[in-house]
Amino acid sequence: MKLALAFLGALAFAALPFLTSSNYIIGVGISALTFTVAAAALNLVYGFAGLLSFAQLGFWGIGGYAAALTVVTFGGTFWEGVLWAALLNGAIALVVGYPTLRTNRHAFVISTLTFALLVTLIARDWVSLTRGPLGIPNLPSPEAFGQRFDTPAKFYWIAWAFAVATIAFLYALCSSRIGRTLVAIKQNEPLTRAQGISPMPYKLAAFAVGAAITGAAGGVYCFELRIIDPTFLDFYYMQTFLIIVIIGGTGSFWGVIAAGIALSALPEVLRFSEDLRMIIYGVILVAAMFVMPSGVAGWLRERRLTAMREALR
Amino acid sequence: MTIDAAYLLQLTLNGIALGLLYALIAVGLSLIFGVMEIINFAHGELLMLGAFAMTFALPVVGLLYWPALAASLFATMLAGFVIFEILLVRLKPDEFERSILITLGLSIILIHTVQYLFTATPRMVDTQYGFDGVAIGTIRLTWTRLIGAGAAIVAFTGLYLTLRFTQFGRAMRAIAQNREAALMVGIRPRTVARNAVILAAGLCGLAGSALAPIQLVTPYMGQFLIFKAFALVIIGGLGNIPGAVVAAVALGLVESWIGGFFTAAWQEGAVFVIMIVVLMLRPDGLFKRGGMRVG
Repeated sequence: MKLALAFLGALAFAALPFLTSSNYIIGVGISALTFTVAAAALNLVYGFAGLLSFAQLGFWGIGGYAAALTVVTFGGTFWEGVLWAALLNGAIALVVGYPTLRTNRHAFVISTLTFALLVTLIARDWVSLTRGPLGIPNLPSPEAFGQRFDTPAKFYWIAWAFAVATIAFLYALCSSRIGRTLVAIKQNEPLTRAQGISPMPYKLAAFAVGAAITGAAGGVYCFELRIIDPTFLDFYYMQTFLIIVIIGGTGSFWGVIAAGIALSALPEVLRFSEDLRMIIYGVILVAAMFVMPSGVAGWLRERRLTAMREALR
Repeated sequence: MTIDAAYLLQLTLNGIALGLLYALIAVGLSLIFGVMEIINFAHGELLMLGAFAMTFALPVVGLLYWPALAASLFATMLAGFVIFEILLVRLKPDEFERSILITLGLSIILIHTVQYLFTATPRMVDTQYGFDGVAIGTIRLTWTRLIGAGAAIVAFTGLYLTLRFTQFGRAMRAIAQNREAALMVGIRPRTVARNAVILAAGLCGLAGSALAPIQLVTPYMGQFLIFKAFALVIIGGLGNIPGAVVAAVALGLVESWIGGFFTAAWQEGAVFVIMIVVLMLRPDGLFKRGGMRVG
């Protein structure tokens, strides 16, 4: 049922370029798709494995820079760039993840945060590689089968295919035995250990897969922006991913996907004032934590449970 | 490159002054973590509020340093009280992730409200001391820096004595060491947590007010410092107050030395590199936490 709905939703999204000729709406659609992928990756790390990781922002930025540099500096194609973004991030996540995952969850949060900031500093200060605050403008549009994806509508297909493929992969992962093990580790780590499961490889794998997917999403998104500079690592992106995951419901796969699509339109609606927009974001975050701590999906689940209890009484 | 002794001494003194300011922030974070087991992402914004309070108070009191400092301290402590009563009091123990997201939201709200009201233009503020200072040989220290460092030392001494010898401080240590046992002997966690937040806000306000005449005041000033403070409490061991102080002063020195001999990029990156190395070697921080220790 859910899968059929998801399939229909994906098809409906594929039809967007036929329904509108407005480049603005298609641009919003591309952001919605990439942000949803990044949020789904964060959901794997935070919602399923229970690791609140701010490093996603760093991976998003590394992915963007890796893809852009592959094309501009090293003369590769867009596809190689996105692939490199994913591979590089996966490798970095293993190196960063191993020492930080050994610490307790308090220290993990802070060290992932400092990792994200370190990436920002590198993007700004390693001028010979990243060109510093000026950034890398005029990223070329991707090419495949002799076709240039140079209009927003054509680029939309790339974003769509990327989103469908990664979300399908994440769904397969989250609903598999590995996904269930991750939830078990999140809920009760000592008990999982007692069952003979070592948590570290699972956590590390979730962290690395999340990083690779976030990086690939960053790589796709920077080609939509056509420029990459240190503002690509603005904390605003992290807040967006987090708010999507929290409103959707941590650990609820389809809840987060639905929230990603719905909420990516929100910043556009609130675009009338840059400052007020961020204030409203902050208020939404705080209010959501008090009113619906487990998101819309959690709230619905609770309501269903209450209804079942009522029925049994 | 020959190293000039006077230059090195100047860097060292600057580093200590900088480190003491870091320590004021890190100690507040450690205190709140020790008592409430939450990490306050809005801590840097308390510092920013302190600095803004100082910029607005100084012209009102005719550039006199001390009354403005007192007003700014009062303002940040009040802010700490309000934040605690409205938001933090609703957090139950063991809601760590939720506490982070709530204080993160608060930090976004504070930064952007201040930016909306007072714009992001950096502000400069003058005090009665201006750029006067003392010169010992070729070494020069401005009064504003000296007073900042002095106030920090006085604050740490006061904090140490309070935590060690007063009922008020003992209750805080008791809660940090064993919540249940503290409840059993009649200590109210709510009151103690409120006091800890107000105290930490005051320390942060002191750092903000001391910084206001030294550097530019912007809505984002707290963010840069708070991330360093986070790294510092990790290096020092979460909830370990002397650890945080030692790590902070050491970082101030290291940054100042690196800044004197290398490019600024290395100066900013140092703290993160140190943190990763420390975490690799000692996952619980350099000074492992065993309850909240003050001595």
